[in-house]
Amino acid sequence: MSDLDRQIEQLKKCEPLKESEVKALCLKAMEILVEESNVQRVDAPVTICGDIHGQFYDMKELFKVGGDCPKTNYLFLGDFVDRGFYSVETFLLLLALKVRYPDRITLIRGNHESRQITQVYGFYDECLRKYGSVNVWRYCTDIFDYLSLSALIENKIFSVHGGLSPAISTLDQIRTIDRKQEVPHDGAMCDLLWSDPEDVVDGWGLSPRGAGFLFGGSVVTTFNHSNNIDYICRAHQLVMEGYKWMFNNQIVTVWSAPNYCYRCGNVAAILELDENLNKQFRVFDAAPQESRGAPAKKPAPDYFL
Amino acid sequence: MEVEVDDKELKAAGAELLSDGRRGIRIHGWEIESHKRSILSSSTLELWEQKLQTSHLPEMVFGDSCLVLKHKNSGTKIHFNAFDALIGWKQEALPPVEVPAAAKWKFRSKPSQQVILDYDYTFTTPYCGSEAIEMDTSKHEMGDISDGNYNLQWEDCNEKIDVVALASKEPILFYDEVVLYEDELADNGVSLLTVKVRVMPSCWFLLLRFWLRVDGVLMRLRDTRVECKFGDNTNPIILRESCWREEKFQSLSAKGYPSDSAAYNDPSIISQRLPIIQHKTQKLKVPGNL
Repeated sequence: MSDLDRQIEQLKKCEPLKESEVKALCLKAMEILVEESNVQRVDAPVTICGDIHGQFYDMKELFKVGGDCPKTNYLFLGDFVDRGFYSVETFLLLLALKVRYPDRITLIRGNHESRQITQVYGFYDECLRKYGSVNVWRYCTDIFDYLSLSALIENKIFSVHGGLSPAISTLDQIRTIDRKQEVPHDGAMCDLLWSDPEDVVDGWGLSPRGAGFLFGGSVVTTFNHSNNIDYICRAHQLVMEGYKWMFNNQIVTVWSAPNYCYRCGNVAAILELDENLNKQFRVFDAAPQESRGAPAKKPAPDYFL
Repeated sequence: MEVEVDDKELKAAGAELLSDGRRGIRIHGWEIESHKRSILSSSTLELWEQKLQTSHLPEMVFGDSCLVLKHKNSGTKIHFNAFDALIGWKQEALPPVEVPAAAKWKFRSKPSQQVILDYDYTFTTPYCGSEAIEMDTSKHEMGDISDGNYNLQWEDCNEKIDVVALASKEPILFYDEVVLYEDELADNGVSLLTVKVRVMPSCWFLLLRFWLRVDGVLMRLRDTRVECKFGDNTNPIILRESCWREEKFQSLSAKGYPSDSAAYNDPSIISQRLPIIQHKTQKLKVPGNL
């Protein structure tokens, strides 16, 4: 058994790798990812997955439902880390699979694959807690910069973490972005990872936060038409039912973190496309309590004041 | 969460836990119960949007979760739920808070036909609980009393919640925390409304907390504490203290406090750093002799 296969087996048990192993794995991953396009071509059949957020045991449920990699060809739409308890193991398992089977798994970048966001929402603290230093966080966030920004399945389905950008009307414009950087606070790359579809606008909307685009139905119609695609598949937003179509089936949100944050009680979904691009959503629940290594933490009664 | 409670302690306090899978306790004429459910489905969420006349609600609305405290003899019912809290949000309708990136965005080229949304995405609410008089059916039939005829009223008072007594480590017979709604502000912070309750042999005490952190901009904490000491009174004496705190990150950093958001994950640790902007204590006026 090669070192890599052994590491994959170890990670599947939710046991993190040694710091030196993480470093070597990231170097190998970098060589593969640097060759990928900003609009990475993906062949069908493929199974598309949305946000995971460090919910390692729920991702194992996902693989139970969707089949193991490499037998199943996977496309993950980002947000592997933060919020859940096992961002380290989750991301490293996906990365190890990527290095082992580069043509059978595609990872694109979500807005959480960023230095700034992971320092606030959990991944940084988790690395520090599990390794006693921030080196592993550094290796991983350096890899984030190499992740592709989007994928195109059989030239017909455009996949991205967040959504569209007013600065982007053609896929070629995405191809020209220099992506090897921290996610910027504005501009096309930022929008692809952050924006949301929005019912109450038809064209473009600006979030009440003063930053962040919302796009309506006519924006999607125009984009799909000019790029000759059937629909857009994205993640980024929690959906109680696991997936949600909008704008007459022109865009679908796929969410793959069941019982999000271990308390929402939502189901998750993955989208399976066969070789003819026929769709099947597979909906699944969170992993049963007994299969989650550690017992659930019972919040002790607290003498709050 | 199942709390391990000593049967002897329950018995000594004259209390019993609710059965049949319900979470709660009966003690001194009170029935205190928590309901914890999943977030609302997309279709129910749409229904709420119509009822509340809004097109935006928090990402996670625990609309079927609640905490209910009922006093059998007086019919007094105090309860906490997301719907009433969101009515408060809708009415207060604060202007939106701009995130730091907004400054840069002002210089971005605007797409044609850009609509700027202006609802309060922080879901800030003045909510401090709901109350009603609810008589049981037998009494209903005897008189003309119908729900809502008796409005409970909170009156300002000088009494204070007895913090010293609450700090004593009396056994906790029942404890729970119920999240009412939560929003991640699209990864720009957190907006969270929760209610925690603990029941001891001598009293019950709860904390309803609205916690908001807009990363790099401000933090807002609106706490409502309610306490009821058990006594021989038919009509319970219920005190409520509300305390609103707010501060900008800029001012915190000027005072020498850290200004990175990661330092402000737990409001109970940092609340003292946020100046009080409003504080009041009230007593519930329960109509007597019902």
